[in-house]
Amino acid sequence: MIALGRIALALALVFSMASVLFLALGMRWDRKDLLRNGYYAVYAFFLTTVVSSAVLLQAFLKKDFGFGYVAENSDASLSTFYRIAGFWAGQQGSFLLWLLLIAVVAVVIALVDLNRLERLTGGAVMVLCVVGGVFAALMVLNKGSNPFVAAEPGTQPFGLNPLLLHPAMVLHPPALFIGYVGLSVPFAFAISTLLLGRGDKQWVSLSQKWAVAGWLFLSLGIGLGAWWAYVVLSFGGYWGWDPVENTSLVPWLTATALLHAFTLYKSRGLFKHWALGLAAATFFFTILATWTTRTGLIQSVHAFEKNPLLVWILSGFLVLTAAASSGLMAWRWRRFESHDQVESILSRDFLYYLTNLLLTLFAVAVAFGTVFVPLAMNKTVGPSTYNAIAQPLGVVTLGLIAICPLLAWRKTEGSELRKTIILPLVTAVLSVPLWLYLGFQSSVWGFIGLVVCGFAVGGVIQFVLHSARRAAGPGKSLWAGMGRAFTGSRTRTAAYFVHFGMILVVAGLIGSNVYKHEATALVKVKAGETASIAGYTLAYKGMTGNTGPQNSTRSFATFAVTRGGTQIGTLTPHTDVYPASGAAVRAVILGRPFEDLFVVADDPFDSTSKSIALRMIIFPLIRWVWIGSILLCVGAAVSLWPKARPQEQEARVTEAIADTGDVARPDGATA
Amino acid sequence: MNKKSRTRLLIATGVIVVVFVIGVVFLIQKQGAYYRQVSDLTTGQYDGKNVKVGGKVLDGTINRDSSGVHFTIQDLTGKSQTVKVTYSGQMPNTFNSGVDVVVIGKYASTAGVINADQLQTKCPSKYKGQASPAPTPPSAQ
Repeated sequence: MIALGRIALALALVFSMASVLFLALGMRWDRKDLLRNGYYAVYAFFLTTVVSSAVLLQAFLKKDFGFGYVAENSDASLSTFYRIAGFWAGQQGSFLLWLLLIAVVAVVIALVDLNRLERLTGGAVMVLCVVGGVFAALMVLNKGSNPFVAAEPGTQPFGLNPLLLHPAMVLHPPALFIGYVGLSVPFAFAISTLLLGRGDKQWVSLSQKWAVAGWLFLSLGIGLGAWWAYVVLSFGGYWGWDPVENTSLVPWLTATALLHAFTLYKSRGLFKHWALGLAAATFFFTILATWTTRTGLIQSVHAFEKNPLLVWILSGFLVLTAAASSGLMAWRWRRFESHDQVESILSRDFLYYLTNLLLTLFAVAVAFGTVFVPLAMNKTVGPSTYNAIAQPLGVVTLGLIAICPLLAWRKTEGSELRKTIILPLVTAVLSVPLWLYLGFQSSVWGFIGLVVCGFAVGGVIQFVLHSARRAAGPGKSLWAGMGRAFTGSRTRTAAYFVHFGMILVVAGLIGSNVYKHEATALVKVKAGETASIAGYTLAYKGMTGNTGPQNSTRSFATFAVTRGGTQIGTLTPHTDVYPASGAAVRAVILGRPFEDLFVVADDPFDSTSKSIALRMIIFPLIRWVWIGSILLCVGAAVSLWPKARPQEQEARVTEAIADTGDVARPDGATA
Repeated sequence: MNKKSRTRLLIATGVIVVVFVIGVVFLIQKQGAYYRQVSDLTTGQYDGKNVKVGGKVLDGTINRDSSGVHFTIQDLTGKSQTVKVTYSGQMPNTFNSGVDVVVIGKYASTAGVINADQLQTKCPSKYKGQASPAPTPPSAQ
């Protein structure tokens, strides 16, 4: 079976190169027969990739520990669910999953285009096959990256790292990879349209949905990772500005900017260079994320072995990506000049511009601090530096979300602004009692940030009301248009959800970072001993033990939690001792309406311990981060929902543009 | 095409970029920690500077008191030098004697102590190659 997997993988490499050859020539000479043959090669590339993935999957399902990779990432005691997760628990399987996803996307695009055989699409599929070819070559050439290597004789299955035994950790890697692959589609179309020198908007129309889907899954992946870090890792937080986290955030930031650039590219032909640059940068950063995680060159908490061939291939691919995209952009620069432009500072156009600029700067700064500073300056920057950059930028970006709906396209009249700003001001003022009730006056900057959140909520409501009024038409009541405000344009409905979700996330980040407080106590192991923090009292009840997953021995210390004299719950922080990896303390969380009480032992304990070093942390508003993240994903899903009929779609787009300002034609001046 | 508004946009962009770059460079200069080995610290040039140092936690050196946790780490490059570490934040859940850790904080050469505001444990090497972020430290605030 190992041989079958390996042969299929080698064939996948051959077929990916064959399709690149056919598609490149078909595109160059404008020959449909060559493009068609290229697509047939893509089908073969897809099928061979499916075969090799199926071989690896069946090895996990059948517990075939003759596969070195299966023995390294699972054992016989794991449930089917976690054995499947073993597929992407290591480097080799992650590359194979990535290859499979690229093949899926390439084949879907090729199937849809088989009857049209357009050069633009052919070129994009070619770029995807180049990317797939690089990953296939990596696995075929580099033994350390090949999942089809026989286990050394006598190898005992390692099992899965106990920290990864959590549903969020099973779903986190595939979500990230789907996000990365979705976001490589706009890059593929950008390269294709650059090669053809086509400055029109078709490449945007063809790749926009893929970009939104990629963004959705990347958001989901980052959110799941943060949630897992919070509930499993027990370090008292959810984001540590670790290189691995940072490099997944960077493409998310540029992808967010890309989605904004796309909307104005499509409607008015603005931000063409931005869209091309952001599509390329986003792809570059997804490869940089893999480079950072897999080469081990950046000092991270990961203990990866250095692997020269892997470093060379991935570094070479990064250089190729950067050189090809910037070279092509320089060559075709003038073909992508906009005929329209940002006219006034007081316009939505300018805020879109600022959004793109700030998100890009933030992304570059994080990438710089994560990769360049350690490599070139032999220094390292920590959370305090990233926080100092992220906090002001976060509040300014929130301000943009708040003000954007109040402004018109092109130019806003002062009288109009004075009218639209009333509602956000009201919600900002109304939010003040809530923040005071929660005791947030202890930090001036945090308070200002939260009041801006309150303001932004009004901005989103204003956005909905404005759309409803437009939809209702003159002389009708506002409520008549309310339904249309939500069903009119998918992109606009998505914006309500995503922007509201983003406000919740930012408020949650402010609450749980700025107002986080903690206390430690050495609690004697004796019933009735107590520890307290911020009105909560924890009383020790007793200790129990049991056997957990992977033969771990677990010790639970039970505490009754009371607040204001009434018991509100029990918490049982525990220590899990794994035969393979030693002791790990595990945190427990008591959720309250406006805050979480997070409790963990500082040191491992068991029934022989005399005392427990207890650490208690209050995380205000942290749930808003999770709820907001879900809303981000819901919003993106709304905009992906298929539309009823093409004609209807056109009508809605026209209406969506018309109702946001004075733009006459949906295509703008460049169509 | 309106040249004036285009110039204004370029100027605004330039100002934002310059301010941002100066801010980031300043922060990195001020807060960036030098990545060094334990044996490098004895040269004296890192007194009062932020350093990031990897080391192995020596058996029997872990003490806990009201000011936090104290332990000693040894050079990872095979040299015999050690340095004391004081840390009061949340402990990573795999911290113990004998594990490799990375500490980040200010080095005081007279006392020979790193006052760490970050402590990270390395993943057990057996688990190399995971696709996940590993245990990360608490933020330094």
